[in-house]
Amino acid sequence: MRHARIILDGHELDIQIDANDRITTTDGEALDVDLDSDQITWLPPVKEPGTIFALGINYADHASELAFEPPKEPLVFIKHTNTLTGHKQVSYRPDNIDYQHYECELVAVIGKTGKNIKREDALDYVAGYTVCNDFAIRDYLENYYRPNLRVKSRDSLLPMGPWIVDTADIPDANALKLTTTVNGKVTQDGTTGDMIFDVPFVIEYLSKIMTLNPGDMICTGTPHGIVDCQPGDTVVCTIEDICSLETRMVSEQEYYGDKY
Amino acid sequence: MTAETLVNSKLVCVALNDKDQLAKLEATFSEAPYKQPPTQPVLYYKPRNTWSRNGAEIEWAKDFDGNDVAEMAVGTSLGVVIDKETCRVSAEEALDCIGGYTIVSDFSLPEQNYYRPDIKGKCLDTTAPVGPEIVAADKIANPDALSVTISVNGERKSVFELANMERSVAELISIISRIMTLQPGEIIAVGFAGNRVPVAKGDKVESSIEGIGTLSNTLGGA
Repeated sequence: MRHARIILDGHELDIQIDANDRITTTDGEALDVDLDSDQITWLPPVKEPGTIFALGINYADHASELAFEPPKEPLVFIKHTNTLTGHKQVSYRPDNIDYQHYECELVAVIGKTGKNIKREDALDYVAGYTVCNDFAIRDYLENYYRPNLRVKSRDSLLPMGPWIVDTADIPDANALKLTTTVNGKVTQDGTTGDMIFDVPFVIEYLSKIMTLNPGDMICTGTPHGIVDCQPGDTVVCTIEDICSLETRMVSEQEYYGDKY
Repeated sequence: MTAETLVNSKLVCVALNDKDQLAKLEATFSEAPYKQPPTQPVLYYKPRNTWSRNGAEIEWAKDFDGNDVAEMAVGTSLGVVIDKETCRVSAEEALDCIGGYTIVSDFSLPEQNYYRPDIKGKCLDTTAPVGPEIVAADKIANPDALSVTISVNGERKSVFELANMERSVAELISIISRIMTLQPGEIIAVGFAGNRVPVAKGDKVESSIEGIGTLSNTLGGA
C-alpha cells in the first residue's frame, strides 16, 4: 500500500493508493480521481515531519566523482521542514550562483520510536520509503559544518514524495534502479545497490547517538550523475518500485514573489 | 522526550560567533581542512530529541560501545524567539520579528572540529534545555548588551558579553531569514562563549542572563 497527503477540492486529505491505483481516504471514502490528475495538489507525504537526516557522499561512484575519499562513517546533516515541498511543486534557484544540482535519494521514513536499534531489527522501525530530491547549491559550500545550512537548508529545496510505500512492499531497498531526468533527458542512472551505508546501518548508527521518532526521515544520498539546473527546468527523480518525483525549477524572484 | 518544551519546530544555533574565539582560531582556520576563516555564520541545529526544559536532568552521553563518554561540555546562549513569519528581512527590520527572549544551553561532547556537521557531539538526547520562560521582547532594550554567565555547582565558570559577538542579533536574523523562512516560536541561539565549560556527572549547571532568568539543569549519570 502507498500513503500520501493531498489537497483535492480544497480539502487536505490523507489517502491510500492500492495496487490498481485506486485512491481511498483514510476514512475509507473512494476518490474518483486519477493519480496523474491536475486536480490533485501533492503535499510532502510525511504528515507530522520530524527531524530530517540526510547523508552526504554515500555512494561509491559519487564519492569518486567529487574527488573525495569514501567516508569511513556516515556523513550526516540535518534539515528542517522549511525545505520540504511536494510532488509537482516548485523549487527555486538562488540568484547569482553557478552550480545547483539535484540529488535523487531513497528516503526511509521512521515509524516507531527507538534508541540503540540493532541493524538486524532496523527495518521494524521503518514505516516506508519515499523519494526526495535533496538539492544542493555548491557555490555556498564552506569548510565549516560542511555541507552547511546555506547549501542544504533553503526553503523548497527538498521536494519529497509523491507517496510513501510500505516497507513490507519493498523486499530489498538496496536493489532499486535510481534515475533522474532533466527536461526528459536522463542525467542520472544508478542503483541503490551502490549505497555505502544502507538504511539498517544508518538507523543503528544514528540511534546510538539519539532517539529516533516517528516522522523522522533518513535521506540516503545520491549516486553519480549530477548536473546544474536552471529556472524553467523540470527535474524528475525516480526510484524503481517507490515513486517518481517531479519538480519545476523557478527563479528566486518567482519563488518569493512579494517577499523578494 | 516527553517534557513539553518551549521550542516550536526549530532550534537554530550559531557557532563561532565569539570574536575572541575566532581570533584565537584564526591560524587553525587558515589551514586544512578549513583553508580560510568562515565568511558566513556557522549554523547548526539542535533537533527535537535534544529539546528539554528548566530543571530537567541532562543525560550523560554514551559512546558507540555503550560506555559513558569521558567528557561533556556546556555553552549557553541568549535564545531569540521568533514572533511572526520571518522571510528575507533586513537587519533594520529584524528586531521587530522577535517575540521574546529565553536561555538556551547546549550540552555536547567537547567541540573539537568544525569541518563536518557534529551530529555525534550535538544531537544527544535532552542536551538542549530551553527556559525557564520566554520574556517578552519589549522588556529587553538591547539584546546585544546582555551578558550570559554559566555557573557549575555554584561556582562561576564563564561570562560572555554579547557585545563581543561577531554578528549581532539583528544581523543574524536577517542572514538566517534569507536561508530559511522562520516561523513563530522558532528559536535562534545567537552565540556561545568560545570556551565551552567542561561538566561532570551530577554537576548542577546554572545559566543566567539578567532580565531573562536562570536556566538550571543537572547532569545525569552520577
